Amino acid sequence: MKTIKSLAIAMMALLMAASCSDINPGNNYAVYQDAVNKTVKKEKKSDKVILLVAFGSTWQQAFDAFDETVAAYKSKFSGYDVFLSYSSAICINRAAAGENAADGAEVRNYYAPPFWLNAFAQKGVQYKEIVVQSLQVIPGEEYTRVINYIKDFANNANGDISDEYLSKVVLKLGVPLLQDEEKDVKDVAKALNDLYKNQASKDVVAFMGHGNPDSYDTYKANVRYTQLEEALQALSPNYFVGTVDMMENFKTHVYERMVAAGLNTGSKKVYLHPLMSIDGDHGHNDMAGDDLPEKFEGKSYTIADLLAEANDEGEVEDCSWKVFFGAKGSGFVCDNSTMIEKGLLELTSIRQIWINHTQDAINGEPLDYYHSKNPE
Amino acid sequence: MKFRLLAGLALLCLARTLSAQSFVNDTIQEVVITATGTNHLLKDAPVQTEVITSKMLRNYSGRSIEEILGGLAASFAFSEDDMGSHLQMNGLGNSYILILIDGKRIHGDVGGENDLSLIDPQNIEKIEIVKGASSALYGSDAIAGVINIITRKHRNEGLLLENSTRYGSYNDIRQHNAIGLNFGKLSSLTNFQLQHSDGWQNTATEYTTGTEPPIYDSANKTVNRHTNAQLAQQFTWKPKKDLELYAGGSIYGKRIYRPCGKYARFDVHTYDLQYRNASASMGGKLALEGNDYVSFDLDWNRHAYMYYFTATTLVEDYEKSKGTIYYPYYPYLPDQTELQSDQQRTMANLKGVFSLPGGNLLNTGGEFRYDWLNAPTRVEGQKVADWTGAIYAQDEWKREFGKGNLIYLAGGVRFNLNRQFGFSFTPKFSAMLGLGKPWRIRATWSEGFKTPTPKELHYRYVKQMGGTWLYLGNLSLRPQTSDYFSLSGEYTLRSLMVTVTGYYNSVKDMITLVTIPNYQAPAEYIIQYDPIKTRQYQNVEDARTKGVDFNIRYSFKEFATSLGYSWLDTDANQYDSGHDRMHQVIIDGTAHHKGTFSLTWNHRFSPVYALGTGLHGRMSSMRYYQDNGNGKGYQIWRLTTSHDFGSFKKTTLRAEAGIDNIFNYVDRAPHGLHLGTTTPGRTFYVSMSVRFSQGKKFGKIKSNITDSNKQSNEDN
Repeated sequence: MKTIKSLAIAMMALLMAASCSDINPGNNYAVYQDAVNKTVKKEKKSDKVILLVAFGSTWQQAFDAFDETVAAYKSKFSGYDVFLSYSSAICINRAAAGENAADGAEVRNYYAPPFWLNAFAQKGVQYKEIVVQSLQVIPGEEYTRVINYIKDFANNANGDISDEYLSKVVLKLGVPLLQDEEKDVKDVAKALNDLYKNQASKDVVAFMGHGNPDSYDTYKANVRYTQLEEALQALSPNYFVGTVDMMENFKTHVYERMVAAGLNTGSKKVYLHPLMSIDGDHGHNDMAGDDLPEKFEGKSYTIADLLAEANDEGEVEDCSWKVFFGAKGSGFVCDNSTMIEKGLLELTSIRQIWINHTQDAINGEPLDYYHSKNPE
Repeated sequence: MKFRLLAGLALLCLARTLSAQSFVNDTIQEVVITATGTNHLLKDAPVQTEVITSKMLRNYSGRSIEEILGGLAASFAFSEDDMGSHLQMNGLGNSYILILIDGKRIHGDVGGENDLSLIDPQNIEKIEIVKGASSALYGSDAIAGVINIITRKHRNEGLLLENSTRYGSYNDIRQHNAIGLNFGKLSSLTNFQLQHSDGWQNTATEYTTGTEPPIYDSANKTVNRHTNAQLAQQFTWKPKKDLELYAGGSIYGKRIYRPCGKYARFDVHTYDLQYRNASASMGGKLALEGNDYVSFDLDWNRHAYMYYFTATTLVEDYEKSKGTIYYPYYPYLPDQTELQSDQQRTMANLKGVFSLPGGNLLNTGGEFRYDWLNAPTRVEGQKVADWTGAIYAQDEWKREFGKGNLIYLAGGVRFNLNRQFGFSFTPKFSAMLGLGKPWRIRATWSEGFKTPTPKELHYRYVKQMGGTWLYLGNLSLRPQTSDYFSLSGEYTLRSLMVTVTGYYNSVKDMITLVTIPNYQAPAEYIIQYDPIKTRQYQNVEDARTKGVDFNIRYSFKEFATSLGYSWLDTDANQYDSGHDRMHQVIIDGTAHHKGTFSLTWNHRFSPVYALGTGLHGRMSSMRYYQDNGNGKGYQIWRLTTSHDFGSFKKTTLRAEAGIDNIFNYVDRAPHGLHLGTTTPGRTFYVSMSVRFSQGKKFGKIKSNITDSNKQSNEDN
């Protein structure tokens, strides 16, 4: 009865309470920002800082890759503090909560870039130099968000940063992995070939990038995947680069190119490799998962059956790359043994190219975003 | 009221003349109202109506409406989760089932699922189920059928105090309290109900595929801990003999607690779910000449659904005050709430029942309904409204012929005017042929409709559930319409009642969430939340359900048994937007075979003690789904006992105890896959009811006149 009584009282209180808490947006911001401020204050060792910006992931493999990346940056840039942020709120929430938080261990507060930048500008911290490094692969839509965070910060969008500080702070931006269509593309192709030339010498290696949907290919950054494939094929004709979102470059198109190259001999393996900073949902599911269109489950099917399911854009949805390339009649061998489950940040030589971009940014001219929300 | 009193007395006399107050007789002597909106003896109702009687409810002692319907009627299926009960009746889901509480629409849903915890399982007098379309009478949503929950009434006691407390495994608590007062022409009834369960976990395994590492220690539960409570008050005033007026209201709150584990992708949750409901109603009934009457009702209902944050949670693209303040990120702190949707509905009803010459009975009326939805994070433009006006008329015509033969015809039509769709017209025709006393043959053709809800028209939100999903409304939706045909035969002879009903329900322009290619979705969402899958409400071209429901009830001395069987087949032609072609599928959740069984024995050992025992079974074949596996078939058995202690002057006592799922069946499919049933395995329960009553007329509950068990209790 005691339990019942207390439950009843609790429920009555719940019922009687106001229907919705009246939240003061400013106060929430202050509380949240304060947590970020404290983290930065506590960990500040230098007067220069590097902020790495990734989309985010909730995979343990991704957490580990990010940890290694931060360690590598700390070792390379000894005069800089290094922090890593996520731009995905869902990933931030899930990484920070749960048993990890309850146990006081492994709390992963990635925070969103604007909070980090504000924390860098707080009184008592005020880094003299802030380097923002994009961990994106192509200079596409996600990268524009990174630029906008810096613009908002430089223009004091929230009006809570000292203008005097903003006029003095040196802001720098490290570009994505494939920013430069010649040098970066060539460097990445070389690094990948050094790693996978053995596989490519007799079999096929296909990289799965993300890409932007057609309507959001604002900066025409998708072309980098095509350029990378060309650069790789200059080293070996057995390399291919496809995406999950770029028009005309889905797995079906990659397959067409493989067939056109006469590689579907029946004996060649197709090695699959994510072309993303980390190996997360896309790598484990879209690439190496077991997704197969429902109508074929438990039945035998061929690559022709799968291709007949292609949508208007030529993509076979709900079908992983592994299942697709490994389908009967594809002319290839593709199964769990040909999955290369590694994100690009896990490849030291590729990570080095990002690090080089950071070094270039440090060596280069500071950004001039102050009082210019939309610079050329 | 005069009509009701006369009808009640007539039925009482009729009931007393029957040789045995058997289980079956209890059923057929029920007065039902749902099918036609007019009172009929069940056996003479022109439309096939299934009744879960007070006695069956008491024998079964269900913890929730889900358990009651699932255990006592073969055509129902449930798969409870945080998002609702996922009620299905003859293959169609909750969106197509109209649930009424005392004839009034239940209000509020999440994803088309009504919150069935609003129904207090210990305050149900009986449940009437009318299958098939009833839109001519009830308007939108009555496509698969109507479930009318009739609550217990306490109008005759001077003072009534009632407490029922049921306690079961997993800290399952059901508490019902009532205080009734009668001061001359004014009466008051206060009800409080509390429901709580700690929830349970049938498996700690997550469904992972491909190269995902397996997870065997997930914190996700099969059914989460939840608590809800409701306080309701109603005043009734009878200023004159033939006029009754009422006014009342209720408040309700519910919270679903979501445990938090350590796998960020699977079992980490940063908010609980919370509901807040409120209602206010007033109305009255004026008795006219003979059995005629006019009634009116005015109701306002609110159902608010919110996230209750348990950890600091960042949301993206937060807009406050309709776009005047925008934050790319906005943090919510623990113990704060974020409103997801606030559905408010105001309804006005006017109804009249008039006897016309030539054996005609006219039921006519009008309805105006105004819906208002505020869903700051889920609707473009944040707030939307919709309204529907309707008038309807239904005529019943009865003629006896030959020796004990009877023909009964009922036809009705409804005209609707909707803000979105203009005029629509919905008919219903039913016929009953009675051949002698034992045979009843009934046939129905009716149309149903369902107007797209404000949610279906305007929703736009992102949800995490086994991946990230974008849900989109669709402004070009049309109302769904249906044609329902049924033919049933009923044979009743003393202690035996057999009914067989065949039906065919064809639903057109059916609205459902369809997975659409991401390129058809707003690109900003795809980019922001990728990887994401998109689902949009669409008028899928058509869907069909067909089946046969079979029921047999038989009683012998103190034993009563019943057997229910439901055969179902479904198919739906869904529009596959990826291929611009139709795709034939089975409706999610379809099980071809379902059944229920019960055997009860009631015996009064002495004036002060009566024992009731029951063995109840429910079974289902495999439930089919398009994605994430099929639900396994199951059978679950339940043993119930009830103990009535009588002979206290003003107080009655009743205790119940039982075991559900005797053979401890548990579906342990990993989280993320469909379950046949969410039962936690073998559970135990005990309950105690105390009822104190003082004052005039105690012990006569009108619609329960033939319920021998209750009668004997209350006569004590």
